[in-house]
Amino acid sequence: MLNYLIKRILWMIPMLIGISLISFFIMHLAPGDITSNESAFNPKASEESRQKLRELYNLDKPIIVQYGLWLKRIVQLDFGSSFASHQRPVLWEKKDENGNIKPGLIQKALPITLLINLLTILLIFSISILLGTIAAIKKNKIPDRVITLFVFVGFAIPGFWLALILMYSLGVVNQVLPISGLHSIGYEQMSKLGQIFDLLKHLALPVFISCLSGLAGISLYVRNGMIEILNQDFIKTARAKGLYEKKVIFVHTLKNALLPLITILGLSIPGLIGGSVIAESIFAIPGMGKLFYDAVLMRDFPVVMGILTIGSILTLLGNLIADLAYAWADPRIRRGLAK
Amino acid sequence: MRKIIKNPMSLAGLIIISIIGILAIFAGYLSPFDPNYININAILLSPDGTHWMGTDALGRDVFSRMLHGAQISLLVGIVAVGISTIIGIILGSVAGYYRGIADTIIMRLVDVMLSIPSFFLILAVIAFLTPSIWNIMIVIGLTSWMGVTRLVRAEFLSLKERDFVLAAQTLGASDFRIILTHLLPNSLGPIIVSTVLGVASAVLVESGLSFLGLGVQAPTASWGNILTDGKEYIQFAWWLSLFPGLAILITVLGYNLLGEGLRDNFDQNT
Repeated sequence: MLNYLIKRILWMIPMLIGISLISFFIMHLAPGDITSNESAFNPKASEESRQKLRELYNLDKPIIVQYGLWLKRIVQLDFGSSFASHQRPVLWEKKDENGNIKPGLIQKALPITLLINLLTILLIFSISILLGTIAAIKKNKIPDRVITLFVFVGFAIPGFWLALILMYSLGVVNQVLPISGLHSIGYEQMSKLGQIFDLLKHLALPVFISCLSGLAGISLYVRNGMIEILNQDFIKTARAKGLYEKKVIFVHTLKNALLPLITILGLSIPGLIGGSVIAESIFAIPGMGKLFYDAVLMRDFPVVMGILTIGSILTLLGNLIADLAYAWADPRIRRGLAK
Repeated sequence: MRKIIKNPMSLAGLIIISIIGILAIFAGYLSPFDPNYININAILLSPDGTHWMGTDALGRDVFSRMLHGAQISLLVGIVAVGISTIIGIILGSVAGYYRGIADTIIMRLVDVMLSIPSFFLILAVIAFLTPSIWNIMIVIGLTSWMGVTRLVRAEFLSLKERDFVLAAQTLGASDFRIILTHLLPNSLGPIIVSTVLGVASAVLVESGLSFLGLGVQAPTASWGNILTDGKEYIQFAWWLSLFPGLAILITVLGYNLLGEGLRDNFDQNT
């Protein structure tokens, strides 16, 4: 297991280099250099801020040197400061000349996005497992068809459109749920429990919207996995032994069908992180997605590059955890690694 | 073809995308009005006999804009998927047929691309370039070829060992000929499925980008655009938000149903 862990972590190094190469390449897609007027850089930017940008990315040096210096800064997790948001550091808090602490942009935004994504994943998995199991048991009957249609419609609904409709009907007309931000006015005065409840109320719509598009893939996966396993010999044996159908389904079949979901979970992380852009900008939630969107609109390049890199590193970590969890959960692989 | 019609899922999908496709192709003839004609005297009219889907805040006919928007949305979806499929077939063929160092490099590139959140990647590229319909097609295409690559490679790996390929090799057929006439036609099923499903995703991505104001730029109509323009008026002009959303929903659903139905058919064959 330890060998596997070391191998798996070492494998991340070439991946990180690849990611840094692609990010670096994207930055150089802009016509001219990114500070010139031909590119999409804000034409109102002062010569001083252009100079700063050139210094930050060493744009006057040969391209190989540029990449080397950029990589050196990335390795030290130094993404520079934002141009737009009062020069706040991109990643982590820093003290300025006056001794005031400037909080990092990603430092503030990341926990919010992580919380939303964790809740979303939890919801997707519990609903998908339920729907997938029902569909598999009632294969090709009406419940199966209804569930399949439901998850397909869920995938096809444009999230921003549904968000708009729900915001309007639940937030404006009926005022059941808050429609923007994370906290109500007077959040500080609430009790601890009240604060949690308030936060959950603010997260309800964004989490619901983010989870809809993910249902289709995973519930179909559970359904097909269950159907395949239900046809296998050990299930026939279990039934022949006279086990209750409930036990056959929930203990023998579901357990085996759920195992590959760990890998799927790892693979769905980049989609979820990317999807947070739309949900967060609609509901004005100050997470990574909104930060990224605002940075793109402002052409705030240090923030764009920082989030792109951090988002990819998070995905790699997510995949690592998923792989380790899979190895730990499946006795066949666990034994194979122990040998 | 007969199988597509027999499966209710793919039949429904096929009907939906045919209707929308025909409406899009003949948008120029079917539109009752010029989609960009601004009429100050007909602002925010609700749907009636003349304006089937009402008018927007500039007095433009929403039905005409929807038809032209269908053209743009489908064009972006299909061209983007065309780009990603071509890249995927080329890279997947090279990786699966030649193996070795080329395979290693291509598959590592796939892993790297898959670990960058694709919506972030698309937005970042658009931040450095100016958003235009061509840039959007290219960017969506360049960020979604990984699935096809893996698929073609996997198909080639299993097909390569089969006798008919060995026979072709023994007869002295060139690599190019073997790939083009023996391997590719036999892997067509999964490629078609992933292409059809890819169009659904690309249409969604385009509408999302346009909704964020980073997609197709005004005055060109796309479904995402119409929705963005309409969201300001949701309280008194529901038709501006309802129709484009429904159009995206139905189109994406159509492509998904066709894709999943086809997948079922191909799975049964093998």
